[in-house]
Amino acid sequence: MNTGAPGTLDLDKLFTARLHAVRVRPYLATALFALHPVESRQVPTMAVDRHWRCYVSPAFVDRTPVEELAGVWVHEVSHLLRDHHGRSDRFARERDLSGPGERLRMNIAADCEINDDVFGDGLVRPEGAVEPEALGLPTGLLMEEYLGRFRLGPNTLSLSWLDCGSGADGLGRPWDLGPDGAHGLSEQERDAVRFRVAQGINGRPGHAPKGWRRWAEEAFHPPLPWRELLGAAVRSAASGSGVGEDYTYGRPARRSAALPGVVLLSLRRRPPRVCVVIDTSGSVSDAELGSALLEVAAISRAVGGRRDLVTVLPCDAAAHMVHTLCRAEGIPLTGGGGTDLRTGFARALRATPRPDVVVVLTDGQTPWPDTRPPCRTVVGLFPRRHTGRPRGDSEGDDYVPDSPPDWARVVRIGSASTV
Amino acid sequence: MSTGTSFAAPETRTPKAPTAQPQIPRLDVAAQLLTLLRDTTTEPRPDPQLEALTLAVAADLPVLLWGEPGIGKTAALTQLAAALDLPLTTVIASVHEPSDFSGLPVIGDDPATHGVPMAPPDWAVRLVRAGRGLLFLDELSTAPPAVQAALLRLVLERRIGALQLPPGVRIVAAANPRSSAADGWELSPPLANRFVHLQWTHDHEVVVRGLGGTWPRAALPRLAPEKLPDAVDFARRAVCGLLAARPRLVHRLPSSETRRGGAWPSPRSWDMTLSLIAFATAAGSSREVLSLLVRGAVGDGPGLELLASLDRMDLPDPETLLADPASAALPERGDLRQAVLDGVVAAVRGRPEKARWDAAWALLVRALETGAPDLVVVPATTLASLRQEDWDVPAEIEKLAGVVSLSRRADRAAGRAAARTGTGTGSGSGSGAGTRGGR
Repeated sequence: MNTGAPGTLDLDKLFTARLHAVRVRPYLATALFALHPVESRQVPTMAVDRHWRCYVSPAFVDRTPVEELAGVWVHEVSHLLRDHHGRSDRFARERDLSGPGERLRMNIAADCEINDDVFGDGLVRPEGAVEPEALGLPTGLLMEEYLGRFRLGPNTLSLSWLDCGSGADGLGRPWDLGPDGAHGLSEQERDAVRFRVAQGINGRPGHAPKGWRRWAEEAFHPPLPWRELLGAAVRSAASGSGVGEDYTYGRPARRSAALPGVVLLSLRRRPPRVCVVIDTSGSVSDAELGSALLEVAAISRAVGGRRDLVTVLPCDAAAHMVHTLCRAEGIPLTGGGGTDLRTGFARALRATPRPDVVVVLTDGQTPWPDTRPPCRTVVGLFPRRHTGRPRGDSEGDDYVPDSPPDWARVVRIGSASTV
Repeated sequence: MSTGTSFAAPETRTPKAPTAQPQIPRLDVAAQLLTLLRDTTTEPRPDPQLEALTLAVAADLPVLLWGEPGIGKTAALTQLAAALDLPLTTVIASVHEPSDFSGLPVIGDDPATHGVPMAPPDWAVRLVRAGRGLLFLDELSTAPPAVQAALLRLVLERRIGALQLPPGVRIVAAANPRSSAADGWELSPPLANRFVHLQWTHDHEVVVRGLGGTWPRAALPRLAPEKLPDAVDFARRAVCGLLAARPRLVHRLPSSETRRGGAWPSPRSWDMTLSLIAFATAAGSSREVLSLLVRGAVGDGPGLELLASLDRMDLPDPETLLADPASAALPERGDLRQAVLDGVVAAVRGRPEKARWDAAWALLVRALETGAPDLVVVPATTLASLRQEDWDVPAEIEKLAGVVSLSRRADRAAGRAAARTGTGTGSGSGSGAGTRGGR
C-alpha cells in the first residue's frame, strides 16, 4: 500500500487514462470531464462522493496500468450517473437498514450493476472488479435486485476492502470534503451533467451498450409499475363522459328539495362495460396473461364495473367465444398461431350492448384496425419474447411490428423495474 | 424557553389548594397542554421547495403540490399564508360539486328576460369581499372529471359563477400522486398545463426539527427593483434562445402513459416559465430553485434542456475569448471547459483566419496551463486539422508537447487494451480518434 517515496499523484497518468476512457466511451465524455480528481492518501483505490469529486490514491495510480485506470474512471463515473448514492439512501430508508455492513452490500450490488456490461470493447476490466458471476448471481440486474439476492459471507470476504466512496453507497467517508468543499457540483449541476450524457446516448443509441441505453431512457423518467399505469389507463378510460361516476343534470339531485329555485346536478353512476381482448398467440406466456387479466378485472371492479360487465375475448388469428368474467377461471385461452387483432376488435364491438372500454392484452405482433373504434381503447403491451422466434419471420431480428395506433393508450406490461 | 415556565405554572397553583384541584375544569388543562404543543417557532432556513412555492405564488401562477398524504402540504400552505399575510381559504375539491365552482343556477321569476344567474358559493363571496387571499384547492386529483372541468375555469379565468376573483387572490392546489390515490382520477392534460407542478417531499431534518418546535419560515423573496429589466431580458433570451433552436419543444402533448397528468410544454407553460425565470432572477434565487420551477412548468425533459442552455449562456462567448486570449477566464469545471474549447475551435472553423487560428492556440496553451491536459487533446487535434497551407505553425505549439505525449500514451494504452479485451477496436487507434467533428 505505501510506496515509501513521497509519492505525489501522477496526474499525467491519471489524465492519460481519462483520455483513453473518453476515446473508447465518447458518450460518457461530459461526465468524465465533470469529475474533479482530488488526491487522498486515505482512499484505498479510487472513490467518488455525491458531489462528483473523485478521490484518488497516489499509490494506486502508481501501481495500476493506464488501461486499467481507464476502467476505474468509467466505473466510478457510472456510480454517479446511475445515482447509486441516492438509490442506496432510498433503499436504506425504505427497509430501515443501517450500518456499514449494509452499505458494503450496497456498494457490492452497485458494482455488480455496473460491471456486468461496462467493460470490454477497448476498456480493460480492472483487477479485482466485482462481477455478479463471482457471487453466483445472474447478470443484467439492477442494484436493488442484486441486493435481495446475496448476503455478506465467505464469498464476499475478499470484497471487504472494496470502497467506491459515498458516491456509491451514500455513507459518508472520512475523506469526503462535504457539500461546502471546493469543486463540488450542486444538485442542479449534477442533473444537468446526467441529462447531457443521457441526451447524447439517446441521440445516437447505436453507440452505447444495452445497459447504458436503458439507463438513458429511464434516467429522468423512472418507469412506474405497470399495474398502476394500466390501472390509471383503464380507470380514466372507464370514467370518461357518459360512463362511470359523473355529474348530470339528467335527474334531480337529492339536495334539490331543500333549495327550491336552484337547479342542482346529481351524481349518477353508470358502470362501464369492459371487454378484454386477449392475444393468445404463442408468443405470450400464460403466466403473463393470467396476471394481466386479473389486474384488469380488479381495476374494472374498482371503477364500479360489476363482474358480469367485464367480458373476455381470446383471440388469435380468429376471435373465439366471448366469455364473461364470472367464469374467468375456466376461460379457455386457446390458440397459439398468428394473431389478427382486427377480428378481435370487430367481435368485441359486435357485442350488444357495446363495450365502453376495450382493453387489449397483446405483444403487439399484429395488424391493428385502420380506423379508430367507437370506444376507448387501452393496450397492455407485453415485452416481445427474444428467446422464442416469432412466428414466420423471414425478416429476422430487424423485423419491426406495427406499433399500436395513436388512438389507443398504451401501457408496457412487465417492463417497469422495481425502483 | 417558554415551555419551562409554563409547565411550572400549574404546579405553583397546586400547593395553595391541593384539594381544589378538581375545580379546574379538566378540559382547561387539556387546552393548556394543547397551547403548549402548538407553541412552535419558525426559523429562516434555505429550503428550495418552499422558496420555489413562494416564488411561484409571488409570480401569480397557480401551483400544484404533488405529495403523499400527510407530508405537510397543508401545513406548508398555512405557513405560507401567514408569511404573506394572506387569509387562507381551503376548499377540498373532491367533496364539492361542479356547481360549487361554476356557480349554482338560480331560476328567477322570468328566466327568459332576466336569464339564469349562476350564484357563487359563500367562500367565494367572502374571498372577493376580502379582495385578497390564498385559495387552496386540496385533493384535486380525487375530484371527478366534471369537477375538474369546472375548476379549469376557476384556475384559468379566475371566475366562480358570476364572480371574478380579484388580482390579490393567489391559487394553490394539492394532489396525491397516482401511486397513493387508489381511487383517483388523473388530471386531464389541459388542467395539468395550467399549473406549476411542484413535487412536495419531506426533508428528514426539517421534520425532526419541526416536531421539536421549530419549522422553517417561508419568506417572500425580495425582488431587487434595479434588477427587474435585466431579469425580463434574461428570461426572454433564455426561453426564446432555446425555442428558436428547438421548435419541437414549443408544444408537445404528453404521449406516454408515465407523463400524463404532469407538466408538459405548450406556449402557455412556456409563458409561465418566462415569468418564473424573471422572478427567480430578480430574487437572486439559486439554480436549484429555478430548476424546480422550470421543470414544474414544462416538464423534466424540456426543463432540463432549458437549464442546460442557461448553463451555456453562462459560458464565455468564443468570440470574446478569441479577441483577447491572454486574459481569458476559462471555466474551472472540466466538462464546461471542454464545451468552451470546442466552441472556440468551432468558431475558428466557421471563419478560418490566421489571426483567429493563432488566438485559438494561445487559448489552448492557457487551458493546458490552468487545468487538466486531457481536455485539450481533442480541440488541439481538430484545430491542427484546420491549418491552411500558407499558415505557419505558431511558436505556442511547442508548449503543447505535453499534450502530444499524453495522447501518444493513451494510444499505446488503447493498443494494449484492445489486445486484452480481445476485440479489435476501431475507435481507439491513432490520433485521428480525436477528431470528433465540431461537436
